Amino acid sequence: MWQAGGVSDEDRLSRAQARTILGRVFKMAAPFRRTMYVAFGCVMVTTATTLSAPVIVRHGIDAGIRARDTGALNLSVVMYLVVVSLTYVFGRMLFVFVNRTGESFLRLLRLAVFRQMQRQSMAFFDRNKAGVLVARMTADIESMSELVQWGLLQFLSAVLMLVFSIVVLLFLSWQLTIIALIVMPVLVFSSIKFQRDSNRAYLTVRERVGANLSALQEGITTVRVIQAYAQEDEVKSKFKVSNRSLFAAHEKSVRVSTWYFALVEFSGVLASALMIGIGGWFAHRGTVTLGTVVAFVLLLSSLFDPVQQLSQLYNTVQSAGAALNKLFAILDAKPEVDEHHSPVDLPRTGELKVSNISFTYAGAENQALDDVSIRVGVGEKLALVGPTGAGKSTLAKLMARLYDPQTGTVEFGGVNLTMASMTSLRERIAVVPQEGFLFNGTIRDNLRIARANATDAEIEAAIDAIGATEHFAQFSDGLDTQVRERGSRLSAGERQLVALARAALVDPAVLVLDEATSNLDPGTEAEVEHALERLMLGRTVIVVAHRLSTVQRADHIAVVVDAKIAEFGSHEELLARNGHYAELARAWVQSHSVN
Amino acid sequence: MSVSESETEVSARLEFEQAQRSEGWKLLRGLLRDQRRNLVIGGLIGMSWAAFKVAIPQVTKLAINDGIEKNGPLLKWALIIAGLGVLTGILSGFRRYVAFRESRWAETLLRERLFGHVLDLNIGYHDKAQTGQLMSRASSDLMQIQGFIVMIPITMSNVIQIFAVAAILFITDPVLALVAMAPLPFVNLSARRFSSRIHKITLAVQAEQAQLANVVEESVSGVRVVKGFGAEQVQFDKLEKEADDIYAESMKAAKIRSNFMPAIDILPALGAVGVLGVGGHRVLSGQISIGDLVAFNVYLTLLVWPLRNVGMIIALGQRAASALVRIHEVLSTKSEITDPPMARDLPSPNGKQLGAVKFDHVQFGYDADRPVLKNFNLEIAAGESIAIVGATASGKSTVARLLLRFYDTNNGHVYLDGVDVRKLKLRELRQQIGVVFEDTVLFNDSVKSNISFARPNASQADLEKAAKLAGAHDFILQLPNSYDTVIGERGFSLSGGQRQRIAIARAIISDPRVLVLDDATSAVDPSKEGEIRDAMRTVMSGRTTIVIAHRPGTIALASRVVFIDELTVAAIGKHEDLVATNARYREVLASMQNTAPDFLEELVK
Ligand SMILES: Nc1ncnc2c1ncn2[C@@H]1O[C@H](COP(=O)(O)OP(=O)(O)O)[C@@H](O)[C@H]1O
Ligand SMILES: Nc1ncnc2c1ncn2[C@@H]1O[C@H](COP(=O)(O)OP(=O)(O)O)[C@@H](O)[C@H]1O
Ligand SMILES: [Mg+2]
Ligand SMILES: [Mg+2]
Repeated sequence: MWQAGGVSDEDRLSRAQARTILGRVFKMAAPFRRTMYVAFGCVMVTTATTLSAPVIVRHGIDAGIRARDTGALNLSVVMYLVVVSLTYVFGRMLFVFVNRTGESFLRLLRLAVFRQMQRQSMAFFDRNKAGVLVARMTADIESMSELVQWGLLQFLSAVLMLVFSIVVLLFLSWQLTIIALIVMPVLVFSSIKFQRDSNRAYLTVRERVGANLSALQEGITTVRVIQAYAQEDEVKSKFKVSNRSLFAAHEKSVRVSTWYFALVEFSGVLASALMIGIGGWFAHRGTVTLGTVVAFVLLLSSLFDPVQQLSQLYNTVQSAGAALNKLFAILDAKPEVDEHHSPVDLPRTGELKVSNISFTYAGAENQALDDVSIRVGVGEKLALVGPTGAGKSTLAKLMARLYDPQTGTVEFGGVNLTMASMTSLRERIAVVPQEGFLFNGTIRDNLRIARANATDAEIEAAIDAIGATEHFAQFSDGLDTQVRERGSRLSAGERQLVALARAALVDPAVLVLDEATSNLDPGTEAEVEHALERLMLGRTVIVVAHRLSTVQRADHIAVVVDAKIAEFGSHEELLARNGHYAELARAWVQSHSVN
Repeated sequence: MSVSESETEVSARLEFEQAQRSEGWKLLRGLLRDQRRNLVIGGLIGMSWAAFKVAIPQVTKLAINDGIEKNGPLLKWALIIAGLGVLTGILSGFRRYVAFRESRWAETLLRERLFGHVLDLNIGYHDKAQTGQLMSRASSDLMQIQGFIVMIPITMSNVIQIFAVAAILFITDPVLALVAMAPLPFVNLSARRFSSRIHKITLAVQAEQAQLANVVEESVSGVRVVKGFGAEQVQFDKLEKEADDIYAESMKAAKIRSNFMPAIDILPALGAVGVLGVGGHRVLSGQISIGDLVAFNVYLTLLVWPLRNVGMIIALGQRAASALVRIHEVLSTKSEITDPPMARDLPSPNGKQLGAVKFDHVQFGYDADRPVLKNFNLEIAAGESIAIVGATASGKSTVARLLLRFYDTNNGHVYLDGVDVRKLKLRELRQQIGVVFEDTVLFNDSVKSNISFARPNASQADLEKAAKLAGAHDFILQLPNSYDTVIGERGFSLSGGQRQRIAIARAIISDPRVLVLDDATSAVDPSKEGEIRDAMRTVMSGRTTIVIAHRPGTIALASRVVFIDELTVAAIGKHEDLVATNARYREVLASMQNTAPDFLEELVK
């Protein structure tokens, strides 16, 4: 298609940027440089053979037919046949090698970008929406595959074709070459203008396609509300407006291309007309031979086609450049939470000690934590409570080094977490988001997320440790049940059980839990509670609590208010103090009482 | 397809597919009927373009023979050729324009039809339908069809071009024509084979890309789990496998292309070799002129594209046909819930309180073999407010859905103001019922449009009144653009409680006879719930209200509690009485509240 991609103005690369990108691409492509050279050699051969065909035809006409030399004619025919066969053989090779280069490059890019993405710390994932990151790994990389599959090849052969054509034409007759090139400036100029216009039109189309698809999707996903309020007709007429404006954008973009294609078609024919008129006059004067004029008429297309092809590739190349630019930005991103250059392993157990930490999320105005200190002894349970947005989850995340504090330290068994090896850190301190996030695969696969090399026996032991063996035995495939995307095959409670079993598999010294807020039915609720209790047994636990039953079970309660720990103590102590905690509890109880 | 499929089964299936296909084509014909005139014009333009295009080499030949060889009038020939260039240029531009415009128009209309139809289909259909599937009907399937329609005028001119060129070649020299054209049928043949093979492999590549996207998506969305357990390598291994699969499939595609592309280029070239050899000897023996020979070469190049295209349109047509069948399947699905043939009217107020609801021996199940409600009887007087309580999945929300007539009962009747809901026009019924669903669904639109959804022409005063009643007015004023703030996925994000309050405002703006609040305050912060509770009291007064809730404070707003258990109404009464007398009721409530009862007692002391 002529509208391969669209590049918005802010995505357009500067010349310097383009050069750096090109340099990096070649560096990345180093492992398959040989393949690249072979591909390049093949392009040279096919271009040369394609171009030599008209020359051979001219030779056949001039030396063979006009000179009435049968031998020369036959020789030309044989040469022609050889040239055609060479074009074929090298053409096939060319395809394979160009694609091998391109696809290897894309594969490498996928792996490199994903690896780098995974090295990033949580802050990176806060900044970048999931959809954007997925788009980098999919749409952006795929936008290059068009270039890789045939664009690159076309680009190479078009450039070579253009250069070779001009050389061959000059060699045949410089006078006629000038005539052939007369229309060229018009063609180049209008191609560039067309690319600009069509790019703009295309961006509008793309934007409206997006809006149209969103409207469609919204309509389908909200159909229950639409029908409940009997607003079908209104929604339909709204959709019609968006749909018609999409049509208008399509129409505009076709109109832009209409005059361009007309002009291209015309200039090709105009060049032949000039060739006949002026070239014929030269032939009359004997400046050139008739065969040369004929060869020029035939060669004109090898002059015009590449120009057209190159202009059509302009957008493809532009958008691939823009995509690469974004991908390299990810490759260049430095993870904020990174392993120390000479890491030490954390001790098996120890006290978790938070000393004067302050933390502000990147881009946030207010501190999420302000000079917080807290100590949790071995095997103790700490509940974090407080109003929404107070900083409870943030504190929990810092205690597991998902972020590093800007000031202050978090230590485990006397070792600063920033010094700890990542492996030992994840083994000692496990974060368990209870709204169990499941990956596509079996239940077993989902446990192995926590420890890739766990044996089947270890997995079964982990399930047993939280007392869920019987529950999963009910499934006909047992632990090999496919949970589907996001675990949609399982109920919310079952997903939580899997999440807890993961933690049991790691057998960490410290558990960091952010309690689920969802409602479960009475049966599963009891099962999850039970599993949780067994999991917490003998471990240090930090839990962001949303249930009063959990709070009650804790040894210590920290009430977080406005980024600070406002109160600290046991349940009884805090109630007696009649401060924030007592107030919070009262509000909570009120909503559950009559009036 | 099972291996054991008998012959009669096979033929029955083939017949069925054939019938489906012809239905699909009928849909396309119907679609294009209104655009017939423009398409014919496009075809005519294309044909004239082809005629001129074919004439150019002919004229060039004459120009070389007469103008150059015989010293004829060069300027005249050059001008003629240039003139033909102007004509073909204009015509080719228009051909393109008409083809694209008409195909886009057909696509536009079909998309509207599809969307409209889907919106009207009953909720039972939507329960089973996947959004992704419906979306691909409306996007990629329509694209296939558009891609086919675009080719219609182009194909018409291509066919003309092929015949015209063939005719000229044969008239000039039949023997040489045969030599020149012998390899060309293979172009068409392999183009067709190529199209279908590359289509298949393209789908395979896309499938692999989708799998990779899934791995990325879950790694990013589940980053807390991945980071929490240090599972980066596990996910990386999954991704590497998918990247390898993409590579393998893409290389298969490259192989297919490498088999086809170079071949398609050399087939006409082989004809040209034949022309030079055989033709050269025929010039030597005086049977044709040099000009003829040159023209032959030029004509050969004129044939390559049209032949390729004819091969492709066959493949495109096959794809469009399957897309048409799939779209027809949706369009021919009839809604199971429709307006009755002779609708009755709801009684008009005349100063009376309206909104009486009655469930009479209702039996219902989403699947035939699993009843959700059985022998369900419930009478709610006009203006009364009741609370429905029950365990998760006991059927509370189902009651609301039956009242809205999202589904029809299997047995028994549902009445609104004494009229069976099946006897009412859907619009009239649903306008009288305001529902706040348990999962709050808002539109990506302004707060204003969201609240006035059921009454698009509501005044600002009405809007604010509804928002105030729902306890939403104050925080709306705090939003960046107050009522004009765009909310939702791509706009300003609200908290769960704020979203619910907007949904409540939306439900009450059209002043419905019956208000249904399905767990509508569950996400509201407990400390704020008190505020809306007062507001809700106002909303509920003078209106039939069904509150589905589990917080005692909310339940207390209703005059009676209906306790659903074991598929039916297990008890009706005042909250305090049920707490006192019904152990099962206490158990269900306690579990819904996630609370330790002893702790409550301690605090309340
Ligand atoms: N990823 C984030 N990026 C920026 N700000 C955040 C992020 N997560 C939380 N915040 C902000 O930090 C503050 C504390 O949030 P959080 O720790 O989640 O509170 P809590 O868990 O007590 O509800 C809030 O103001 C919140 O809006
Ligand atoms: N669209 C549906 N299709 C099939 N089954 C459903 C559907 N909606 C609900 N159900 C089933 O019907 C039962 C009652 O559901 P529901 O009325 O939503 O319960 P509640 O609102 O009391 O939680 C549940 O077992 C649920 O799984
Ligand atoms: Mg939180
Ligand atoms: Mg429900």
